[in-house]
Amino acid sequence: MLDVMKDRITDIGPPDFKEYLPPAVKKNYGQWKYHEILEAGVLVHVAESGDKLYTVRCGSPRLVSTTSILFYTEIADKYCDGFLRFTSRHNVEFLTTEFDNVAKIKAEMTEYGNPVGGTGPSITSIVHTQGWVHCHSAATDASGVVKAVMDDLFEYFNEMKLPAKCRIALACCLNMCGAVHCSDIAILGIHTAYPRIDHENLNKLCEIPNISASCPTAAIRPATVDGKPSVELIEEQCMYCANCFTVCPAMPLADPVADGISLWVGGKVSNARSEPKFSKLAVPFIPNNPPRWPEVTSAIRKMVEVWAENARPYERMGEWIDRVGWPRFFKLTGFEFSKMHIDDFKYAGLSFKRSAQITHE
Amino acid sequence: MAKTIEEIADFMFKQVSEAQEVSKKLKPGDLTKLAIKAFGDEGVDKKMGKMAIKELVLSGKCVYTYFGGSFLELPHREGAAND
Amino acid sequence: MPKEYKTPMLDELEKGPWPSFVKEIKLAAKKNVMSNDLLGLLERSYNERLGHWKHGGIVGVFGYGGGVIGRYTDLPEEYPEISHFHTLRINQPSGWFYTTEALRTLCDIWDRHGSGLTNMHGSTGDIIFLGTKTDELEPIFKELTEAGFDLGGSGSDMRTPSCCVGPGRCEWACYDTLQRCYDITMKYQDELHRPAFPYKWKFKFSGCPNDCVAAIARADISIIGTWKDDIKMDQAEVKKYAENGVDIFNDVVLNCPAKCMKYDGDKLEINNNDCRRCMHCINVMPKALRPGDDKGAIVLIGAKAPIVEGALLSSVLIPFLNIDDDEEFEDFCDLVEEMQDVWCEEGKNRERVGEFIQRVGMGNFLEAVGVEPIPEMIAYPRDNPYIFFEMDEDEEEEEE
Repeated sequence: MLDVMKDRITDIGPPDFKEYLPPAVKKNYGQWKYHEILEAGVLVHVAESGDKLYTVRCGSPRLVSTTSILFYTEIADKYCDGFLRFTSRHNVEFLTTEFDNVAKIKAEMTEYGNPVGGTGPSITSIVHTQGWVHCHSAATDASGVVKAVMDDLFEYFNEMKLPAKCRIALACCLNMCGAVHCSDIAILGIHTAYPRIDHENLNKLCEIPNISASCPTAAIRPATVDGKPSVELIEEQCMYCANCFTVCPAMPLADPVADGISLWVGGKVSNARSEPKFSKLAVPFIPNNPPRWPEVTSAIRKMVEVWAENARPYERMGEWIDRVGWPRFFKLTGFEFSKMHIDDFKYAGLSFKRSAQITHE
Repeated sequence: MAKTIEEIADFMFKQVSEAQEVSKKLKPGDLTKLAIKAFGDEGVDKKMGKMAIKELVLSGKCVYTYFGGSFLELPHREGAAND
Repeated sequence: MPKEYKTPMLDELEKGPWPSFVKEIKLAAKKNVMSNDLLGLLERSYNERLGHWKHGGIVGVFGYGGGVIGRYTDLPEEYPEISHFHTLRINQPSGWFYTTEALRTLCDIWDRHGSGLTNMHGSTGDIIFLGTKTDELEPIFKELTEAGFDLGGSGSDMRTPSCCVGPGRCEWACYDTLQRCYDITMKYQDELHRPAFPYKWKFKFSGCPNDCVAAIARADISIIGTWKDDIKMDQAEVKKYAENGVDIFNDVVLNCPAKCMKYDGDKLEINNNDCRRCMHCINVMPKALRPGDDKGAIVLIGAKAPIVEGALLSSVLIPFLNIDDDEEFEDFCDLVEEMQDVWCEEGKNRERVGEFIQRVGMGNFLEAVGVEPIPEMIAYPRDNPYIFFEMDEDEEEEEE
């Protein structure tokens, strides 16, 4: 037996969640009756038993140091019997049965730098990926863009003044680790330069048939270059998805000038009212402009404001656009409509306007 | 006749070694399919294939790698590693 | 002495009302040289508008094929402390509930063996430990497992399942998302740790059609709660909502996709036979309306992000499953295994099951896994006449 196997524990899975449930959750598990939003970021859930559980939802940068996690545990020890939870959108939530604790948690967390909000018709934390902090294929940073956008939209986080909720997500390349493609607004990092093929090393690092198979548009063919097995790129067929780079590091395509951000709009995952739908292209390319990406934040603000002003109550971004039509969206936002907005991948024809129902802008 | 897990693991190890010589990568699923092809349904089933792969990895003869998808390879120096 | 980096670009992102990730990196850098070098490297990326990471493919813990993402900077001489900067995915507890004790244990392990930076949580749902050296991987794994934690999935394996808060704190949970997420995770530990699939396979569990974990957009198997019987209604509470300013006709009735509601200014009526269980009316008036009592889940299959063949949403496979019932749950697991077998047999490298279904045809896929085709599975029947008629065997023989 190898040394490493001695007393090795494997395949135990995660801890049983039941050990981590606060007493009030354990007691009323599956017996919740209704909830109310008391103010932005504060919920009360009322159980059949009459028990009330207050939730304080705090924004988080997702990229969190152990120092801050330890601070959260202090708050939870003080006010929440030593329990806390996180949400599917990276917020941290403090659950307490004592209403008096709500204001105290709110004050201490706000003071520390984690504001309270993100409930109801608001903009909550942006689901996002790693970006330049940790990713090899990033076409933009993630945390920085998110910080800039949320700073700009902060009034919609700690107030509930939008027609409906607005879910924003960011992925730093087309791999979409964040699966952002069904968001009210999706921020998507995008490369626009061809992969640079390292013919010298390609065959040592990568398997050529795998590279060819990785290309969604069949733009990569095996080829012999300077007597070495390698690949060639049919440039007209390349849409810079970086999938070849994912399977083969000898085809990098990151570029300071050609990398940037595209914006997508009108997707949703919830089934409420209309069925789930994909986000659609709004702005094809905005160059990276760190540290605050002002062109990105202003384009997003434009979309949010135009929607907030024109949508009916409960109408999500995509539902509003479906009602008034895309010509209105482009007119009101002032975004340029171009050839790039018209789909030319599989089933493209389904996205053409195939009726005589049209508005005149 | 049913093969032993060791026999299957040895066969798979040979496949991985030969593939690596021509810089080809095999997935765990490919190895099970190759073993079934070589030894027939009576010789190997999917469960035995899985056990043989586990044996290969726990003996240190093969390691899992990832290049867009997961593969089984002989242990080698990380291409991207810094010295 | 650790290097002191000037970071004017990043300092700008310490300002403003939203929580700052730069503050977090700086907090970690006070205790940890790796995070200090990360700060320097990130400032450089901001100046150059370029990332500086290389993707590893081989590091991991012994015996597992997932859970560790290899990462190296391409500027190791200048930023030696992050020459290696690997990520660990740690399987989160269902619903992301924690005791403070568990969190302190995790922080203690990570402070001693890594950068002190985390994601709470990653997009997969895992706890992410962001940045450590190859030599630290085994010690971290040992301490984590001793503390009752295990690694999550990565690569071509079953990815860490995740779920919404469910019955823990939501009146709309139509099944026990927390429990079923835990059950699936425990049942398939081998599939989670030892990649044996053509590509990744994700399970996501949402308790109702609001789908708070975005199951329908990103999970190969999306399990979304629903109910069969009537919406429960409290007319007195409906009245109170109206008195408190909810425009029931415009905001509730007119927004109903099935047009199955009536409101005469006093009473609300629902034709439950036509109700699509979209959740809108319940979302607007949670005190007055609730899902019925005959609850369960819809199972959908095939969602994914764009790479390789384009993004897909999941589509209906089982319109109603009483997933809280152990027997029905076991039958469902058997079906999952059958589907994985077919996909492993015929699927191409890096082909998600949704893409596989697109390639071979949903009808053929259903036949291969022994599921009867039913109209609930489609938005509409085919509108092209390119039908591959399948003659029964007798007819074929006659033709020959």
